[in-house]
Amino acid sequence: MKFTRRQFLKGTAVVLGMPTIIPASALGMNGTVAPSNRIVLGGIGIGPRGREDLSAFLKQPDVQFVMIADVQSVRQEVVRVMVNRRYNNQDCAKTREMFDVLGRPDIDAVLIATGDHWHALATILSVKAGKDVYCEKPCSMTIRESQELADAVNRYGRVFQAGTQRRNVDNFRFAAELARSGRLGKIHTVHASILPLEESHEWLTGEPEPGVDKVDWDRWLGPSPWRPYHRDYVQGRWRGYYDFHGGAALPEWGAHTVDLCQWAASADNTTPVEFEAEGQTIHARYANGVKLVMRLAGFKGEGNWVVPGTCPVRFEGDEGWVEAADTGKIAVSSPRLLEGGAPKESAGTDPTEHVREFLDCVKSRAKPAANADVTRRGHIVSHAASIGWRLGRKVQFDPVTESFVNDADANRMCSRARRAPWHV
Amino acid sequence: MIASRFLVSSLVVIALAGCTTPPRNPVSTAALAVLASEAGLHEKARACQELGVFGGPESVAALAKLLDHEVLADYARSGLEGITDPSAGKALRQALGTVEGRNLAGVVNSLGVRRERAALPELQALALDPKRGVSAEAMASLGMIGSVEAMKTLQQILKGDSASQRVSAAHAALVAAERLAQSRNLAAARDLLNEVIHAIPAGHLTAVAQRQLDSLKAGSK
Repeated sequence: MKFTRRQFLKGTAVVLGMPTIIPASALGMNGTVAPSNRIVLGGIGIGPRGREDLSAFLKQPDVQFVMIADVQSVRQEVVRVMVNRRYNNQDCAKTREMFDVLGRPDIDAVLIATGDHWHALATILSVKAGKDVYCEKPCSMTIRESQELADAVNRYGRVFQAGTQRRNVDNFRFAAELARSGRLGKIHTVHASILPLEESHEWLTGEPEPGVDKVDWDRWLGPSPWRPYHRDYVQGRWRGYYDFHGGAALPEWGAHTVDLCQWAASADNTTPVEFEAEGQTIHARYANGVKLVMRLAGFKGEGNWVVPGTCPVRFEGDEGWVEAADTGKIAVSSPRLLEGGAPKESAGTDPTEHVREFLDCVKSRAKPAANADVTRRGHIVSHAASIGWRLGRKVQFDPVTESFVNDADANRMCSRARRAPWHV
Repeated sequence: MIASRFLVSSLVVIALAGCTTPPRNPVSTAALAVLASEAGLHEKARACQELGVFGGPESVAALAKLLDHEVLADYARSGLEGITDPSAGKALRQALGTVEGRNLAGVVNSLGVRRERAALPELQALALDPKRGVSAEAMASLGMIGSVEAMKTLQQILKGDSASQRVSAAHAALVAAERLAQSRNLAAARDLLNEVIHAIPAGHLTAVAQRQLDSLKAGSK
């Protein structure tokens, strides 16, 4: 129906003449947030880990989640039910097509929790559509994708937070601050736990595709090269396969632990200049001489970490050391380092504070802790380390050009072709 | 390590093949042998990926043959994108005249990734011809190349009638403007951004262009 100016004015006059009854909730009273202050959120590819993020978003009173896009109908429905239960209504829309989410002008931001091979491209398409992005980690498959993601976020002026929530978990933050503040003395070595390095090029024996209404296999593959369908991939068991899991699994934990080491070493704006693998341990060195050691995770007791738990990190200075892990615990070389208050114990997997920081930044337009620039460099470090491991020799890296020095083989491992027609 | 694993299998293949000339790269030689054999899709797919890292000009012809293959075309491009020798770019450029549909889109994308200036005439024609179905991809590649010639085509599309074409051109123009600014061609970058602002209704994209323009002005002071 088309309104004329006359009809519009006539209607307005009638409305102005009537008593005004506006629900308190719409004005932001009764503990609710007025619609004008709400952040309208959509989701792209939300499985088990994504639902942990989504739970954190749904706890926030100023978030309204309105639409889920997922190539698997079962996952669409699980999210739709979860959201509608939270809001006690039937309003959450679902779709297979992520462009339905990106095309909605009322959606301010998106939560991306697809498989890793989609993270960078989905982020880039989202910022091109004018959305702010919270994206699960690892955010890139290659060094080039790390660059493309950050370039796009900066180009389009959007707020981006990687799902590296440990930057906002107390014991990790406390440990990093001990290192950054000089209380450990001059930092000389930072340690990041990683998972066992592996890279499979196998294809599982193909199964009949379930049909696009159940699982859109072509869209699930997205920018990754084609291979026959198998349910394992879409049910979360895609990790370890080269085409879906970048950096030989190093960025899987490295997105967290290497990132924390970068932060602790005050190296968010640079990378190491040298990487050398020794079995499953990778030694890196920054230009200022600080060493970064990437070694096996401590959750099964490997690596002699003091603090058990997943994602342990250790920062060593010439006057002391600190170690933190997902148990929420912290260990220090001297009790005096805890003077002034030890951090409260909180699990490293809870993204609530990280999500809250993202939402605050969506409103303020400030850069969050895990913004695109720190994510770019942290991920590049993980990818560069894995390339050194793949080549089985020492590689030199230039943090300014973000490329390997005099090493054509290594530089050719910095990118992968995207399956057509996907492009950035 | 993986590289040494590559090496062992490669040497076996070379020995079996009775190769008499010293191989430029054993991994490449082994992968080429796979592509020339009756091996299955999986093995050939992996061979293409290996050539993307270890292949040289000797690999180009074998990869180029696969650019219209239903499955292996994307793998072949992963090989050709990685080969720095100009012959890889030339092969992709030649494929523009022979492949169609999704594979054509892929070739156009790869030329953009490689920033193949020699392909400018073909990319410009594809960008201006929506009937070929790859104009958005061609515009994106022109943006990545980011030369003055590429800019002129984007400007032409920005002045055109199609709103959707103008939006695609605007996204490409934002990238091209960055490239032009990096090469110190600030005047051209400014012209392009102004064109975006005039071509697109006020909103997210024009705000991005205006911010980029403001930062160029600030940088030139």
